[in-house]
Amino acid sequence: MVHKITLTVNGYKRTVEVKDNELLLDVLRDKLKIKGLKAACWRGECGLCTVLLNGKLVKSCLVLAVEVDGSEIVTVEGLSRDGELTELQKAFIEHGALQCGFCTPAFVLASHQLLLENPNPTDEEIKEKLSGILCRCGTYYEIIEAIKSASNFYRKKQR
Amino acid sequence: MSFGSPYFTLPDFTYHKPRTLRDALELLEKYGDDAKILAGGVGLIAFMKERLVSPSHVIDVKEIPELKRLEYRKGEGLIIGATITFSELESHQVVREKYRALYQAVKLASDSIIRNRATLVGNVCEAIPWVDGPPPLIAYGAEVEIRSLDRVRRVPVADFIKGPVEIDLEPREIVTSIHVPEVPDEAKSGFVKFNIGSEFALVNLAAYLSLNGKKKDVRLVYGAISPKPVRALEAEKILLAEGDMRTLITSAALKASEELEVISDVLASEDFRRHLIKVLTVKLLTELIGGG
Amino acid sequence: MLYAKLVTSTVPHAKIKRIDFSKALQIPGVVKVVTGKDFPYRVGMYAGDRDLLAIDKVRWVGHPVAAVIAESLESAEKAVDLVDIEYEELPAVFDPLEALKHDAPLIHEKMEEYRHSPAFKPIPGTNIANKFTLVKGDVERGFREADVIIEEQFYIPHVSHCYMEVQNVVAHYHLDGTVEIWTSWQNVAPIRQIMALSLGIPHNKIIVRIPYVGGGFGGKAGLGWEALVAVLSKEAGFRPVKLVLSRREQFTVAAVREGFYGFAKAGFKKDGKFIAYDVKFILDAGAYADYTVNVGRAVGYSADGSYDIPNIRVESLTVYTNKIPTTALRGFGYPESHWVLEQIMDRAAEKIGLDPAEIRRINLVKPGISETCTGERLREDAGNPEKVLQTLLEEIEWNVPPEKPGEPWKIRSKGLALFVKGPAQPPNAAASAILKFNEDASVDLLIATGNFGQGTITGLIQIVAEEFGLPLEKIRVDYIRDTHKSAYTWQTVGSRGLFTDGIAILRAIEDAKKQIFRVASEVLRCPEDHLELVNGEVRVKGKPWEKIPLQDIVMGYTYPNGNSIGGPVIGRGVFMSTHTTYLDPETGQGNPTIFHTFGGAAVDVEIDLLTGEIKVLKIVQVLDLGRVINPLLVKQQVNGGSLMGLSIGSYEQIKFDERGWVVNPNFTNYYLIRIKDIPKEVVWKAVETAQSDGPYGARGVGELTMIGIAPAIANAIYRATKVKINQLPMNPENLWKAFKEQRPDLFDEALKMFIESKKLVEVRA
Repeated sequence: MVHKITLTVNGYKRTVEVKDNELLLDVLRDKLKIKGLKAACWRGECGLCTVLLNGKLVKSCLVLAVEVDGSEIVTVEGLSRDGELTELQKAFIEHGALQCGFCTPAFVLASHQLLLENPNPTDEEIKEKLSGILCRCGTYYEIIEAIKSASNFYRKKQR
Repeated sequence: MSFGSPYFTLPDFTYHKPRTLRDALELLEKYGDDAKILAGGVGLIAFMKERLVSPSHVIDVKEIPELKRLEYRKGEGLIIGATITFSELESHQVVREKYRALYQAVKLASDSIIRNRATLVGNVCEAIPWVDGPPPLIAYGAEVEIRSLDRVRRVPVADFIKGPVEIDLEPREIVTSIHVPEVPDEAKSGFVKFNIGSEFALVNLAAYLSLNGKKKDVRLVYGAISPKPVRALEAEKILLAEGDMRTLITSAALKASEELEVISDVLASEDFRRHLIKVLTVKLLTELIGGG
Repeated sequence: MLYAKLVTSTVPHAKIKRIDFSKALQIPGVVKVVTGKDFPYRVGMYAGDRDLLAIDKVRWVGHPVAAVIAESLESAEKAVDLVDIEYEELPAVFDPLEALKHDAPLIHEKMEEYRHSPAFKPIPGTNIANKFTLVKGDVERGFREADVIIEEQFYIPHVSHCYMEVQNVVAHYHLDGTVEIWTSWQNVAPIRQIMALSLGIPHNKIIVRIPYVGGGFGGKAGLGWEALVAVLSKEAGFRPVKLVLSRREQFTVAAVREGFYGFAKAGFKKDGKFIAYDVKFILDAGAYADYTVNVGRAVGYSADGSYDIPNIRVESLTVYTNKIPTTALRGFGYPESHWVLEQIMDRAAEKIGLDPAEIRRINLVKPGISETCTGERLREDAGNPEKVLQTLLEEIEWNVPPEKPGEPWKIRSKGLALFVKGPAQPPNAAASAILKFNEDASVDLLIATGNFGQGTITGLIQIVAEEFGLPLEKIRVDYIRDTHKSAYTWQTVGSRGLFTDGIAILRAIEDAKKQIFRVASEVLRCPEDHLELVNGEVRVKGKPWEKIPLQDIVMGYTYPNGNSIGGPVIGRGVFMSTHTTYLDPETGQGNPTIFHTFGGAAVDVEIDLLTGEIKVLKIVQVLDLGRVINPLLVKQQVNGGSLMGLSIGSYEQIKFDERGWVVNPNFTNYYLIRIKDIPKEVVWKAVETAQSDGPYGARGVGELTMIGIAPAIANAIYRATKVKINQLPMNPENLWKAFKEQRPDLFDEALKMFIESKKLVEVRA
């Protein structure tokens, strides 16, 4: 059966036809062309397909598209506005928190959510929140540095 | 269970999203074996990708109000609905303060992103030997509530899990909730896990101790060492005996490492698991009893 | 776009009796099913042993037997399950030591027909894909003179590269015979070369394009799936076809790092001098060894590491087995040779009564004087291993004993390992660069340097910006590598990119500068050698007011009356190694590499004797990389290589069952280091012994950073406990076993202390 579902993706309403067995990951990437979303395991281990689904981080390879009709989804593309990088994204670049870059969208998105919830995280809190995402290049140290240096902006935002 | 999938796509099925429990049960009545319940999807979708299950009907129960319950009633205990996620349990004050073994198991399960979606009931229904949900539930003597159109029944979690991916559930039934009994104030509980990085435990252990009340009660439940979580009954008996608690703990740990049937698998050998049973038992019990 | 899905073998070694895909064809959307018979090609880069799809015979569980081409991935995945294959099983062999026996099943019957590179020696009629031998001095005499002899066996299991982006290819075979390839691979040139040689397509009709790549680590070098997907596109009626491997297929179908045995015998004088080394390496190459023969060669000629060993004999056999094919992985034989050698050093030190640092100092090579085991005299500016060692000792505070952990069943210890590495490549591996100026004096740099996360491109852009005095933003390297549009480079592998392509670029810059100065010299009426380039201007030295902006020259200079001279400036430059050679087939003597980067790693670890858990508290890496071009990029390589080394050293192992099936082909049971597991601290220091023929004196560094980690940890364990860890991974169970078996006294004491200490806790009950 084909369902017409409506999602708010990065602030825009998108209506798309999906089959019962289509995964949110594939619908976002292949039908809505949200290419910041990556995948490396397709079974919930690598975390590269992480999206914000109604304000919560979830791995979109384990979600049916039809399940989330009416939901709000944010991907890394939804963080910056008008082509200007966010302070967090700039911090990732400045601290070298990426090598091949394949995991970077997921780490940026999850770090963003982490800082929204906790704008003053300890190393341990960062590690706990980000351990669901894999980086083989080994940029974990730089990611922690980037998050800490950008945390200032989230604290300001909160005030 | 953990083979990894060669496939990217899912087999064909029809998706249903009932709004009431009755609708869900009617769908189950109609499709029986051909249907599977979808809650968090972490297990079901992964299983479907590996073609371990290929249901023709998938029944999404996330919109059913009764299944969203997470309540604590003094004197009665905790009711955890079928769609309650690990994250919801993690941030629940009573779970954190009163049900320590459950809380610690929940915190150590998988990763924080998966926990946003994975449900405890799903974790129990998957009945994968290496996961963290079942041991604490068994230690507390928790029961699953199972419904079909014509009856309600309760089964202890310990009996509900029959073996790897094998549970006491008929095709027309659905697990609606888990009931965790009240924990007396003087009782203590805790959970430890030995894993090498990976979410899967080599050994995990949930302990429930009530040694100061009228009726002494000890439960030691080990996961990942055998096809289903098991209690170390002989070791428990040792702890119930009179004597120097420090010696009792050591004896109980040794007993547990000997009395249980332990398997070798891709994660660890039987020998190493027996050793870990010893270490984890001493560690957890001294922590609980010694407060150290 | 059409989608392809592979049908793979379920048996390790068998004749294909029958393939029935009639049911698969009935799935709506399936365009075609093809089998190995349709493609009688033999492909490869070094061993040349590979088929596109199994022909007549399957050689491992996972061997692609057929490919389904369909309108959608979903249809293709439905169809693969319906392809019915009947096998006649043959005896299989899974262990390379077994495969070497004369009565072992023969895996490749027609090895003599394979088109292999002249650097290798396959032995038809056996399972040996390459036999590498090296002899220097007289090893028997060395052992006779030795006071102390160490004999050990080592093992490293198969590991997967685990780059996050899985292998994927899009190929479009056009009606005019042009083949267009889009792929996630490290390099464009070898893909074209392999396709041209095996499929017989002219080079200029093959266009290979590679956009950003999600990691490579050596696993996306050499042979890929491009030739297969190209012929699938042709078979499907000249329509574009896409093939994406699943993660499971990355563990079971794509090539991984080989399994490895090392049998070492080492002789030392009692003053610590290393005088004889006899070592045999056996590589478990799996069913196909195309690139692994070169790993076997590299592990062989790197046997001596950073040490001057007068008598040495090496035999390195790359052996076929009925397991997954193998290929290069970051470090490429050097992690293997150093896993053996660097532990031998500590064992010898212990036996002789020397400090592990001291025995290394005694035996270090001396650039300018020493010869390596291949007989290559190290150039004077090859590096300063002595200073590397010294810096390493200072940074890890070698002489300061670590604190005692609060829990008495735990031990703290420090360990170290030295290493050296050069790129393993053919002697004639060339590189080239083209740079062309645009109207505004911005530069398009046309290079084929692979871009899969190492940051080399940034370093190369820095070089161009520096030389022309231009801001970085003015230099552009397109993110797509393209055989048609980029200058040729052999490959970006072996930590060679910055060195080889950097030199090519410097020569291109020189070429462009000559053109610029020739014009400027006429305009400014000044000899060329009096001119300089500063801030994007050509100036007369000492008279900065006499100048022309670059943009007035780079498209030709126009005088006020319209007369013009010069023209668009295009610089070209090449790198060609002039001193490297093939190695002598009997003695292994010759010059294999273009540089040697020396380095060392040291660790401070906490060992839990009770559970076998190792906690690495600190990692120090010291690297003589000649010249640091970009400190942030070096830091990334050090951090990343340290974590990859730690992950492979601690967790990673592809496990096979007795039928050759991989039992952990996923990230749950094949664990990779996550952010929660990282050591508290990684520190790096550079020693900068500039190499006169390197770009600004620089040498490569990328792979180096993971070589020393595992041996340093093993050495730390040995130093504190005298427990030998000869086998990877150093996971709790393996270490627990080793502690229990080798030091039952220590282990029992630890268990006792653990239980006693718990008893001391005040019991409230």
